Amino acid sequence: MRELPDFEIYSPSSLRDLLEYLHGDGRDATIIANGTDLLPRIRRGELRPRRLVDISGVRELRYIREEGGVIKIGALTTISDLAGSHLLSHSRYEAFHVLSRMFGTWEIRNRATVGGNLGAAASSEDLIPIFLALDARVRLLSLGGERVLRVDELVVAKRRTSRRGDEVIAEVSFKSLGEGEWSYFQKIGRRRTHIIALVSLASYLRLSPDGVIEDVRLAFNRVRGKIPERAWRTEEFLRDRRIDEEVISGAERVLESELRLTSDYRASYLYRTEVAKVFLRRALRHSRDMVLGGVESVAEA
Amino acid sequence: MPRLRVRLRVNGVEHELEVGGGERLIDTLRNRLNIKSVKEGCSTGDCGTCTVLMDGEPINSCITLTAQANGREITTLEGIGRPGDPHPLQITFAELAATQCGYCIPGIIMAAKSLLDRNPNPSGEEVRWMLAEHLCRCTGYGRIVEAVLEAARILRSR
Repeated sequence: MRELPDFEIYSPSSLRDLLEYLHGDGRDATIIANGTDLLPRIRRGELRPRRLVDISGVRELRYIREEGGVIKIGALTTISDLAGSHLLSHSRYEAFHVLSRMFGTWEIRNRATVGGNLGAAASSEDLIPIFLALDARVRLLSLGGERVLRVDELVVAKRRTSRRGDEVIAEVSFKSLGEGEWSYFQKIGRRRTHIIALVSLASYLRLSPDGVIEDVRLAFNRVRGKIPERAWRTEEFLRDRRIDEEVISGAERVLESELRLTSDYRASYLYRTEVAKVFLRRALRHSRDMVLGGVESVAEA
Repeated sequence: MPRLRVRLRVNGVEHELEVGGGERLIDTLRNRLNIKSVKEGCSTGDCGTCTVLMDGEPINSCITLTAQANGREITTLEGIGRPGDPHPLQITFAELAATQCGYCIPGIIMAAKSLLDRNPNPSGEEVRWMLAEHLCRCTGYGRIVEAVLEAARILRSR
């Protein structure tokens, strides 16, 4: 009764095989990683692909390594792989750790992939704001070579990326985090797990030993319209300031003027704006307390 | 549509099948291999009912293509115990009356099995987090938590 419509599927066994297929017959094929987003969409009738190319067997694309101060993550890396990786085990990679409870279900985390999350490009994809906050680069491979894009160059609109038909999202990379740096991720839905975010904030901060913000990146799942974007003006306001309550209030005001959130059946823009401000406040307090130690007050709104 | 040759190892038995590209693992298990413990709930990977283990990891068989399970090891409820030799989870779920209608239970037991395989001594909190991702509309979950914790005690004492 609930079967999927039939389609052709090609399962390349190596990256080379995949790229040759995408270069030839498979140029118009829909790429499927493990299908946690794509298959429900096909079942709902949102997509009716004639031909799929199944990259789940291309094992060369599943890895997490650190090379020359850069973390490199293969596209087939799962959410469970990220949350359990020893390379990302330092507490400053907290943005990834919280995913082990907040991203989908355990079954989904075992299947959902980094490349799939970026390629699906829905407003609910948690990794898009996280990679924006980490200023990540996405490597696309084709038979002809490679392109390296920023996340905002890849994800151009809701459900639309700039990937060409002969390319595959192969890798995401970002600078390893060190002393004084902290990544964090918050999202809210109607329950504590398996949430599609009404509002999410991925944050990155680099603080000097005396608490001055040397660098900051704040990516919300929506800022204007429906794709994740950085809150540029709020970042600009925060740079070179020391995090105290006055600065936090000032940042909230800038954020409020910068956000152009919309209402939908899930939540009103007023609610989203309020939560976004609370998330900003918590991100600043939490990151400061974690980096500088000596927690004075646990971040509570 | 061209058919694909797929090899699956299900509950320790090798199968070689020809499937269509759109065939889902749940349909292969239920309709071709007659493994009826695998139940379909939401069909979109939200409710946990169709959970089976693939290479020991819980996954949703309703949103997994059989073609993508090629060469993998699948375990269902039938593979962890038999009527004469049930798994401790099967014993404690029965003894503590942790099931009512039973529809969600195979998926819950498979996830619980995977949890206990990696953590023989989970806290009640950890069991609840596992259960948070499985919908049961009749038991209220309390007895399910007890049954998983009791099965963990039995397994540790062996």
